[in-house]
Amino acid sequence: MNEHTRWRDHKWRLLPAAPRSPAMNMALDVVLTDGIASGECPPTLRFWGWDRSCVILGRFQSVQNEIDAENAAAAEVSLVRRITGGGAMFQQPTGAITYSLTAPESLVAGMTFSESYAFLDAWVVNGLRAMGVDASYVPLNDISSSTGKIGGAAQARRNGAVLHHTMVACELDTELMAKVLRIGREKLSDKGITSAAKRVSPLRQQTDLPRDEIVRRLTAPFATQCDLRDEPLHEDEIARAEALAAAQFASDAWTYLLP
Amino acid sequence: MHGEYKTPGGKLVKVDYTVRDGQFAGVVVSGDFFLYPEDAITAINAALDGSAVSTSEAEIAAHITAAVGNDVVFLGFSPEAIARAMLRGMEGTS
Repeated sequence: MNEHTRWRDHKWRLLPAAPRSPAMNMALDVVLTDGIASGECPPTLRFWGWDRSCVILGRFQSVQNEIDAENAAAAEVSLVRRITGGGAMFQQPTGAITYSLTAPESLVAGMTFSESYAFLDAWVVNGLRAMGVDASYVPLNDISSSTGKIGGAAQARRNGAVLHHTMVACELDTELMAKVLRIGREKLSDKGITSAAKRVSPLRQQTDLPRDEIVRRLTAPFATQCDLRDEPLHEDEIARAEALAAAQFASDAWTYLLP
Repeated sequence: MHGEYKTPGGKLVKVDYTVRDGQFAGVVVSGDFFLYPEDAITAINAALDGSAVSTSEAEIAAHITAAVGNDVVFLGFSPEAIARAMLRGMEGTS
C-alpha cells in the first residue's frame, strides 16, 4: 500500500438518508466496502436512515454486558451488531446524523489508525464549527464540544478498502439511551463524570437549525474538498445488501455472537 | 467471573470466564475497543483458555502477544489491559 491518494483524486457518490432496517444499514456498509475492493462501487458518502429505533453493538461487545434487554424490549428498541469495533450506538430515526465513508485505503496511506480517524472526520468538524458549534476531535474516535461528547466513529479495513462511520448525536433521547445501554462506573472512570446521560451532548443543545439544514451544512465542506455527486444505489447493490442483511445481520447467530 | 479495565484515555475491556481446576476456562474478551484484523479476537480468547489462574499480568499479556503475532493492531487497549481486566475478575476470590 505505497500509493497515496487525496480526497480530490476520487469521484465521490453521495447517498442521502433513506429509511432502512438496522440489518440493511449494516449490510450496506459491507457491500459498499467490498465494492471498493472489487471496483464495483465508487467511493461513497452514505447517510444512514432508520425505520425504527435500535442499538448497534460494536463487533466485540457482548449483548448482556451492554444492553438492558428488558428496557430495550419495553421501548421497542431493536438490536443489531456491526462489523466495526467500538462502543454501542443508540439510534432513533431522527436522533442522530450518521454517515459511512467507503473508499480505497490509499486515502489514508501512511497514516496511523489514530491519524486516519481524525483525517476522515475533519470535514464534519469543520462543518460543525461553521455552524458555531465548538467542535473538536478527541483521539481516538470522539467528536466533542465544551458541553460533552457529540459523536463517535469506528473503522474497518478490508481488502484495500476503508470503512469509516460516524454518528453525530442530534436530538437523541439521552435518558432513554441511559436506560437501554449499561454504562458502568469503569467506563466513566477517566471521564470525571458519573452519568452516561450527561456524557453525551446532542447537537440540538447548541443549534436550532432544522435537521435537513444541519445535514446540508455538514456536507458542504465535504463537497468543497472533492467531486461529490448525488447518485442512487444500484439495484444490484441493494439486492446484495438485502441478501447479506437476511443471511447475517438479521440473524441471532451474528447479533448474539457474544451473548 | 467478570473483570473490567479501562485504559486511561482509551477503551474498556471486559473479560468473562469461569475457573476450572485452577485454570481459566471459557474466556470471552469483549468491549468497545478496536482490533485489526477483527478475527484476532478468536486467537486471543483461545490463548487465555487453560492458563493457570496464578499467572501474572505480565505473563498473560506476553501470552496474548505471542498468540496473535506482531501484525495485529490493538487500538485503545493492549494485551496488558486484557490481562489486568482478567485478573480483576479474580479479586475477592481465593
